[in-house]
Amino acid sequence: MKRMSTKRMWREAGAGYLFLSPTLFVLLLFIIGPILFAIFLAFHKVQLLGTTSFEFVGLDNFKRMADDTRAKIALWNTLKYVIIVVPFQTILALVLAATLNAGLKGQKFFRIVYFLPTLTSSAVLTLIFMWMYNQNGLINHVLKAVGLPTYNWIGDPDVALNAIMIMNIWATAPYFMVIYLAALQDVPDSLYEAAELDGASAWQKFWHITVPYLRPVTSFVVIMGLIGTFQLFDQSYIFSSGSGGPNNSTLTVVLLIYQYAFKTLGTMGYAAALAFALAILIFIATLLQRKLSKEESLY
Amino acid sequence: MEMKKWLATVGAASVLFGSLLAGCSGGEKAEQTNGGGKAGEQVEVTLAGWGGNPTEQKLLKQTLDDFEKKYPNIKVKYEVIADQYMDVIKTRLAGGQGPDVFYLDAFEAPALIETGALEPLDKYVTDDFDINDFEKPMLDAFKGKDGKIYGFPKDYSTLALFYNKKMFEEAGVEVPRTWDELREVAKKLTKGKQVYGFGVAPELARLYYIAESKGGKVVTDNKASFADPKVVEALQPIVDMHVKDKSAAQPNEVGATWGGEMFGQGKAAMVIEGNWAIPFLQETFPNLEFGTAEIPTINGKKTTMAYTVAYVMNKDSKKKEAAWKLIEYLTGKEGMKTWTSKGYALPTRKSVAAELGFDKDPLRAPLVAGASYATVWQNGTNLPIITNNFNNQFVSAFLGERPLAEALKEAQKTANSEIQSK
Repeated sequence: MKRMSTKRMWREAGAGYLFLSPTLFVLLLFIIGPILFAIFLAFHKVQLLGTTSFEFVGLDNFKRMADDTRAKIALWNTLKYVIIVVPFQTILALVLAATLNAGLKGQKFFRIVYFLPTLTSSAVLTLIFMWMYNQNGLINHVLKAVGLPTYNWIGDPDVALNAIMIMNIWATAPYFMVIYLAALQDVPDSLYEAAELDGASAWQKFWHITVPYLRPVTSFVVIMGLIGTFQLFDQSYIFSSGSGGPNNSTLTVVLLIYQYAFKTLGTMGYAAALAFALAILIFIATLLQRKLSKEESLY
Repeated sequence: MEMKKWLATVGAASVLFGSLLAGCSGGEKAEQTNGGGKAGEQVEVTLAGWGGNPTEQKLLKQTLDDFEKKYPNIKVKYEVIADQYMDVIKTRLAGGQGPDVFYLDAFEAPALIETGALEPLDKYVTDDFDINDFEKPMLDAFKGKDGKIYGFPKDYSTLALFYNKKMFEEAGVEVPRTWDELREVAKKLTKGKQVYGFGVAPELARLYYIAESKGGKVVTDNKASFADPKVVEALQPIVDMHVKDKSAAQPNEVGATWGGEMFGQGKAAMVIEGNWAIPFLQETFPNLEFGTAEIPTINGKKTTMAYTVAYVMNKDSKKKEAAWKLIEYLTGKEGMKTWTSKGYALPTRKSVAAELGFDKDPLRAPLVAGASYATVWQNGTNLPIITNNFNNQFVSAFLGERPLAEALKEAQKTANSEIQSK
């Protein structure tokens, strides 16, 4: 009897895994395999071109980061970017969602309009923005028209990263807005009604009901925002045509990884080590965020 | 326990299955490519390069058609890599999917030769090919440390001074012959922020000859040495022209992407550009009246840069014989003549240059004259790293954010620590 059941269990499990095998195969080949290989690379000096060689160097690749000025600049730029972009896009998304949920006339139309930038590929968006950021472009014309100073958005080291920030906040906030909008549908009307009876103003309702009720969603939005902003690459790549210039001002960690992996020969191992370090950094940032928001639900 | 075993079995099976698949496709390819250029058998050679303008594309196509006519059993598959050319080539070479023949810029050549990914070409060369016909500096750019030749230069361009005739007439100035004259002339030609006297590309590729004009070296022993006071002294006038005289600007300050465009739009009265700018200006700005002159002398010495590109062969190519036939034709007298006939690029063979007579063309003569004293844009395997760091920091000095000496010192330090830990 016992034997029988084991056999049956085997068969069932077998059938299950058989059905899973295509997925498992793909996962192993394209996700788990490359991750393991990247970790392997991080501890080696790698030469891929010509005569391929892997030389074990222990922690040298990690030690090297400490002396790498460009790595420090890249990290600083990325942190600056994260610290400014994540709060801005989260608040903007929340405000946009709250206004679009307030029952204004034509809010469906605005929902679509606000969501449009998210549908555009980031590469195309960057190219369009580069036109607008041009010294004789739209943005400078508008600034001049209202009497504000104009900037060399792309060429000035002090401004270039800010230009990318503005563009990205504008492009990503609507995506999170949609998530907030969905969550707002769940807020029970009875809470607002009760608050109204108690004489709460619109601002009080927003601050004391909407915001606390949306806290789990905010947590999600911030974590996704953190992960996304830490991985900033395509915008700064297109902005600086791959160099991270002017004066390293748009150099981000992922762009630096790209440069070491594909631009300089023989530094693939160091690039993998940097990628590994970035993964750990994102992991820590996410843990910190969860700790701070004291959120119990898991994502 | 059993579950785990199962997982292991399935895992192993799927990996095996995967390698089986990979094995299959590998085998097929090997069969397909087992040509080697035997007579009568059709061979397809892949040729990769960056695209050019439509006229250049047409010229190359014509050259390739002529080649296919001459060697009916070889077919050329031409692939254009439009963007990030070297990144794509390196990745494809590392993955074993490299083209048989491809373009290689002299600037990138030493590093790629060192990896051993290229086929030395000496053993294929015949007397008919006439190797001594090439301009020596251009050919030397593709020699490895072992003295072997890894590529034959297909064409080159030097830099020359482009000037707007109308603006010069209005300002009543002569074409500058020395760098000091250029600075004075630039002041007279500047009209506020509308027109700058001189358009500068603040990049090492375009400033190298100036940087070394006072005896300093940009690269010493394959390491950056551009913080040398002599280099700083040589580059200082360029920065001063922008910061103090306000008579020079970089293209993005006036909303242009490169010097040729800046010059064509009339936002700079002078730029230093290469051969590539001539057809661009003639086609895009047909009403522009411009002339070219040799680059003004520094300390009484003539200087300019030369940029050259070669055809090289992939070491892993399975059709080396056919690939060589292609290189031999493209860089041979016949192919080069067709390719350079319209003057989009200058021929690296002396005989072809003499035949086409570009030294008598008023716009191209200053560029051809530069070939004899030009510095080839190449210096060891670390030049790409050095250039990247130089460009990044030089801009901040050029924009007047900090002193040139300080910017270059920091850039040199960063470059050398990057080189050291390589």
